[in-house]
Amino acid sequence: MDLKLSPFPTLEKQMPIEHGRFEAYVDNGGTVLAVGGPDYCVIAGDTRMSDGGYGIQTRKYTKIFQLTDKCVLATSGMQADTLALQKRLKTMLSHYQKEHGKPMSTPAIAQFLSNTLYYKRFFPYYTFNIVAGIDEKGEGCAWTYDAVGSHERVKYASQGSGNQLVIPLLDNQVAKFNQQIIAGGNVTSQQAVSFVKDAITSAGERDIYTGDYADIVVVDKDGVHWEKFELKLD
Amino acid sequence: MFLTRSEYDRHVNTFSPEGRLFQVEYALEAIKLGSTTIGIQCAEGVVLAVEKRLTSPLLEPSSIQKVVEIDSHLICALSGLTADSRTIIDHARVETQNHRFNYDEPMTVESTVQSICDLALRFGENRKGEEKMSRPFGVALLIAGVDEKGAQLYYSDPSGTYTQFHAKAIGAGSEGAQQTLQEKYSKSMTLDECQALALTTLKQVMEEAVTTSNVELAKITTKDGKYKIYSKEELEVIVSTL
Repeated sequence: MDLKLSPFPTLEKQMPIEHGRFEAYVDNGGTVLAVGGPDYCVIAGDTRMSDGGYGIQTRKYTKIFQLTDKCVLATSGMQADTLALQKRLKTMLSHYQKEHGKPMSTPAIAQFLSNTLYYKRFFPYYTFNIVAGIDEKGEGCAWTYDAVGSHERVKYASQGSGNQLVIPLLDNQVAKFNQQIIAGGNVTSQQAVSFVKDAITSAGERDIYTGDYADIVVVDKDGVHWEKFELKLD
Repeated sequence: MFLTRSEYDRHVNTFSPEGRLFQVEYALEAIKLGSTTIGIQCAEGVVLAVEKRLTSPLLEPSSIQKVVEIDSHLICALSGLTADSRTIIDHARVETQNHRFNYDEPMTVESTVQSICDLALRFGENRKGEEKMSRPFGVALLIAGVDEKGAQLYYSDPSGTYTQFHAKAIGAGSEGAQQTLQEKYSKSMTLDECQALALTTLKQVMEEAVTTSNVELAKITTKDGKYKIYSKEELEVIVSTL
């Protein structure tokens, strides 16, 4: 029997209709950082919300969220996920307060946030967090996270689009890594505030996603104190 | 109470016209048949002392355990239907471990007691996907623990009620023992004094002499927040001073 090759179909190949693909994530940018002292913690975050490109959607989007009177959450990444995460933590904190008759401690919040992020391991919140405040002993403390809950307790931390600009500055000025001359002594909260202002201003200098204004938050035994600070608008 | 028994003692979820739940009241009676258990709290910590009824000389005393660990900072002594306590202890252990998993901190004493009582109150309930509990638990607990509020002693019963005590006796000899505790207890006692009071009170209400095999003794200290259940050798030293 002869084998015949059938002719190649001349009809144009049917293609599925192209739609714009659904994008679950957008990076709204922004920089947050925290520095823990012996009895205080300073947290800063800019208030610019970018559209993922050159555009700015708002200049007044606060990235810092007060969880208790001893603890704040600073988040960069996607704004919608940030709001969802803040809402979730707020409800769970009020649950905890009612169930155990006390507010959640900062270390407890740190562990709880890690679990919260990990439970969404396969469709994560697109958020990069710092939990900062004072612990049960009244010492300044900070935890830094990745998007799926990996975390570490640190003396200082930074997250977001300006992270790479800020971190070397903190390594040098807070941790005093590998320096020839080391100025000793503890840093006061006023000194830490002015240093943190310099750090975020510097990030705004080079990072297009950081700018407009900065929230400077100091957490100490008396509570959470907010301050607005101007950055460049360009 | 037993004379007025009526149809109303058949179901755990039916009130009598006088507004009583007979099955719960009967469960409370079951505790009064249990072995005597004493707990005393002071600033330094809490002691728990329990009588072990050795019904036969052929019985192996170490096979009866009346003081059990819930978590490293929480212990509990039981009186009544000890088999029922297995369910409760297991529940409490899961809850305290869950709390550590979620919050990286020990669960507070009151929260743990509350969660035990939540379970105790589930009798006659029909929860989807959960086994129906046929009757109230026939066991009462003395829960001792340490948290940021210091050392605490709680009593929980089959009705799902919990109360905090400085000193409490439950079980068969509880009436006499509670009387003694009321007379002898003072808030300024040291842990060693509490320990001595617990054992002498227990000795009073026990039919047999106190030995190292028919009592169990445990303490939990505020200082390190850890519990300790006495071994036979350690008990020997204390019993000999009685």
